[in-house]
Amino acid sequence: MASYENGGKTPRTPNRMMLRRTLFLLIVCGIVAFIVLALRLYKLQVIDHDYYENLALEQQIRQTAIKADRGTIYDCNGKVLAMSADVDTIYISPAEIVMYQEDPSLIASGLSEILGLDYQKIYEKTQNTKSWYQTVAIKVDETLADQVRAFKKQYGLNGVKIEADTKRYYPYSSLAAHVIGFVGTDNSGLSGIEMKYNNELTGTTGRIVRAKNNVGTDLLFTKFEDYYDAENGNSVVLSIDSTIQYYVEKHLQQAIADYDIRNGAAAIVMDVKTGGILAMASLGSYDLNNYQKVSDAAQEKIDAAETPEQAAELLSYYQQRQWRNKALSDTYEPGSTFKIITLAMALEENVATINDHFYCGGYIEVTGDRPGQGRNCWKKTGHGDQTLTQAVQHSCNCAFITIGQRVGAETFYKYCEAFGLLTLTDNKDATPSAMTGIDLSGESGSIWWSQNVFYNPQNKTQLAAASFGQTFTITPLQLITAVSACVNGGSLMQPYLVSEIVADDGTVLSRHEPVVVRRVISEQTSAEVREILEKVVGDPVDGTGKNAYVAGYRIGGKTGTSEKVAQDVAGGAKEYIVSFIGVAPADDPQIAVLVLLDTPSNETGIYISGGQMGAPTVGHMMADILPYLGVEANYTDTEKANMDKTVPNLTGMTVEQAQAALTNAGLLSRVVGSGSTVTAQLPLQNSVVAANTQVILYADAEPSADLEQMIDLTNLTYANARDRLGYYGLFIRAEGSVTKPESQLVSAQSIPVGTEVEHGTVVYVSLTTTDSSMLGRY
Amino acid sequence: MEYNNDRIADYSDEETFSRGRIDIPFLLLTLLLLTIGVIMVLSASFPRAYYTAEIKTPTYYFTRQLIFALGGVGVMLIMSRFPMSLYRRFSFVILAASVILLMAVLVIGVSGGGARRWINLGFTTFQPSEIAKIGVILAFSTMICRLKGKMKTFRYGILPFAVILVVVVGLLVAEPHLSASVITILIGAALMFVGGARLIWFIGGAGGIVVIGAIVVKFFAYASSRITTWLDPFADMSGDGYQIVQSLYSIGSGGLMGLGLGQSRQKYLYLPEEHNDFIFSVVCEELGFVGALLILILFALLICRGYWLAMHCTDRYSFLVCTGISTLLAIQVIFNIAVVTNLIPCTGISLPFFSYGGTALLLQMAEMGIILSASRSIPTA
Repeated sequence: MASYENGGKTPRTPNRMMLRRTLFLLIVCGIVAFIVLALRLYKLQVIDHDYYENLALEQQIRQTAIKADRGTIYDCNGKVLAMSADVDTIYISPAEIVMYQEDPSLIASGLSEILGLDYQKIYEKTQNTKSWYQTVAIKVDETLADQVRAFKKQYGLNGVKIEADTKRYYPYSSLAAHVIGFVGTDNSGLSGIEMKYNNELTGTTGRIVRAKNNVGTDLLFTKFEDYYDAENGNSVVLSIDSTIQYYVEKHLQQAIADYDIRNGAAAIVMDVKTGGILAMASLGSYDLNNYQKVSDAAQEKIDAAETPEQAAELLSYYQQRQWRNKALSDTYEPGSTFKIITLAMALEENVATINDHFYCGGYIEVTGDRPGQGRNCWKKTGHGDQTLTQAVQHSCNCAFITIGQRVGAETFYKYCEAFGLLTLTDNKDATPSAMTGIDLSGESGSIWWSQNVFYNPQNKTQLAAASFGQTFTITPLQLITAVSACVNGGSLMQPYLVSEIVADDGTVLSRHEPVVVRRVISEQTSAEVREILEKVVGDPVDGTGKNAYVAGYRIGGKTGTSEKVAQDVAGGAKEYIVSFIGVAPADDPQIAVLVLLDTPSNETGIYISGGQMGAPTVGHMMADILPYLGVEANYTDTEKANMDKTVPNLTGMTVEQAQAALTNAGLLSRVVGSGSTVTAQLPLQNSVVAANTQVILYADAEPSADLEQMIDLTNLTYANARDRLGYYGLFIRAEGSVTKPESQLVSAQSIPVGTEVEHGTVVYVSLTTTDSSMLGRY
Repeated sequence: MEYNNDRIADYSDEETFSRGRIDIPFLLLTLLLLTIGVIMVLSASFPRAYYTAEIKTPTYYFTRQLIFALGGVGVMLIMSRFPMSLYRRFSFVILAASVILLMAVLVIGVSGGGARRWINLGFTTFQPSEIAKIGVILAFSTMICRLKGKMKTFRYGILPFAVILVVVVGLLVAEPHLSASVITILIGAALMFVGGARLIWFIGGAGGIVVIGAIVVKFFAYASSRITTWLDPFADMSGDGYQIVQSLYSIGSGGLMGLGLGQSRQKYLYLPEEHNDFIFSVVCEELGFVGALLILILFALLICRGYWLAMHCTDRYSFLVCTGISTLLAIQVIFNIAVVTNLIPCTGISLPFFSYGGTALLLQMAEMGIILSASRSIPTA
């Protein structure tokens, strides 16, 4: 180095201190600082990598959902109850409208025209220029969406977007609405099977994952895209038979109209051997395709509301009410229908036999009743001496109180538990409750007295009331499930609605095999219960359930009338829930049918009781369901004679031939005109009319074209009504069975009084057997 | 030490353009970093170029940077041919010119981001602050050589330097250009430190800067908000914290191996300044920790080589200039990476050889040329 020190030109070399300090800089700026930076990068890139990557992906990734098709809901015969159809969502992207300098007013006017929407509203949406997604219309049908597509193409609009969606369609509108349920705008189930089986039905949404740049479009050159297939939802096959459901709803609707039912009605049809629900209805119902819409009557009240808040409140009230599945969400006091259960336990415990005699003096006291304040039978004069069968036929409360006392409180509860009506716990102060656990949401639990109250040896009044179905509440579903166990041989079946779950490709994923929850009573007891129940319906004299009788079929059943206690306590007019539970065929039951009518009005003139209202309704249902199920009818000769007849073709015959044919068919005749050949007939060929109807034969004459006014038939006997109508050239036929045309009374008619009808019209009527000795709340 | 006769002969002819050979490791490191830098400009800038309505050509920035890089190599080679005495002769001229330019920029400068930092030359813009930095290095080196033993006194060792710094930094603050001010102070201080000023002044100076910094942070909203953002950038992710958060996303998502060259997603308009000050974030995202570390090592090697060359310079002026330029390079690299990794509050410092910017690159290459020129006087072992 020294060599550079010489010579004036060469500056001095750096001294030691300078070199030292430079070395210091080298270490600090060239090594230490870089180690610090490397450590920092290691922390960010290696240690915290996942954290930052997730945050970054959140902003970089655009996920486009690929909708999975929602599964279909079928009835047991493969009829579609709920299905999904392709629809579209129309939306605009105001940011792109700005970006591509498109005309917002053109877009607004085009879309408003095609979709029938307000121009101004759409225009306002185009002004949210930072937004990429402004919905214009959802669930748009393909035809309209195609028009939007054409509009978009015609003007090359980037700002108008169409997105695939699906919409749920319910081909039968309101049929089985409470079972099927509905979905919200996001296609997720909100009630019924749609909700309970939402996970099965929904499937898995697929998605396209794509990286996007900060203005939302795809990346340039950089390939980053992942595709996940959508998996369509599974389909669900219900135990519901839509035909049976239709019959049930038809007759339930008719009952609501005939008896002016104020608080809705419910019906359940159960396959007693499997626990499968064949029909479940709760009326007034609603259209699944338009589930938000309430009935016209309710809408009127809403429209009459003073403030929007009140209107909203009312709307919500009526919607909740119409969506409520009465068959399993509402508990009620079953009343006399429950005597089937008491009967079954008494027979099984051998505390009563089929030939035991019970005396009813119209009044009975049990331990705990204050003297003179016991219980009256529904028939205050008493039923006198009766066998067990008669006690059930009579629905005698006194007899059942006696039977209940013989069974004893603890055994009574033990059986109720076995029938799935309550669950006993160690906490004897708790009120026992239970549910059936059916695969449908919204089920309520029963409410019973606590064991301590019920078992009180000093007070057996609770047991007395419970023996004939009062002072506790259960759901209709619980009752029909328990009664099914009483008649099916003694096994409590798990009620269910979904019989199969089927994958999109048709593979059956699961099949419901009938589940025996437990055996409750013996086969022998069950047979005795069946035998007794058949007598309740089949005995035309003593049977309180005879209005449910269907000619040709063996039907068993039991009536029920329960006072609505809350209403009574509140001091209002007495209100009742009338019900009937029927089983058929009585010798080997296939189905049980429970009908419950909540609060018939006092104004129809029809005596409010299960026997007068519930029984005929169930009878009508049975009359449709049993032939549909292929149950063979066996008519007695009288039944055959009383059955409604089919009118043969008589035109073209001679008068004599025609008369002979009519006699053969069980019909009478009346000749109009003086010719020898029948040129016209009323009613027409294949009309079904009452037996012994006078068919009008026109011999060289023509029926008058004049209109007749429908007359009031209620409370006329069937025979009387037939003849009165015949006078006007009108005809009659019955819903349900004609057993005694001379004593069965018309309770309702299909054509309202005063309606103008043509000659030859056939009016349908409902019949009841009214026998003043049978009038009572049983 | 031995050296061949040619070198002595070369050296004796100081005015000729060719003396000893330039330092090959330093040259190669520079070219390597420059090459990587230009490639990264292509990768980082094409989305911005493509999506900018007035440009739409993905290679827009890359082509320009490439031209400047090639020009820069030429400038470097030319600068490496000038003798150090030439730089020494023009030291004060350059400083004076930069002061004039700094004054000019306040009047005719182009505004951007609330500051006047650029002078428009028609075909390109440049920042006079870049020239000021090299001006300070050259002038301080000359002064230290002249002052020799007087460096330990306040009157000679501190005062003249402080006056120059006050003038230059004052003008920079007026733009305002905080990062350039800090860098200028630091390289000035580094040269005074190496030149032999008493350590006590540095301790005092550092204390003074801390106090002034604290006052600035306390009373100037814009400064204190930078500190807040630095401490918790996620608190205001869409506002002040946006840039640094996006940078952390880029760096973090790179992981160990990176998304691959060209595969950054953050550069798609998420990360601002992705081809300028924040290009290193894209480097981290695409090349991963491994790639980023490699580049850090290349920078460290270049800087260490720069200091090494300085320490082997046979004349004090060359030594000081090399030390100054190496320090300048180190500070720029360290500050830039510290900013993008949120180690220090955000401030605009470009990354040498990587950040897009023609004149800055030309000057950096010129600075490398000066070191190479100095390296000619170093006898190889």
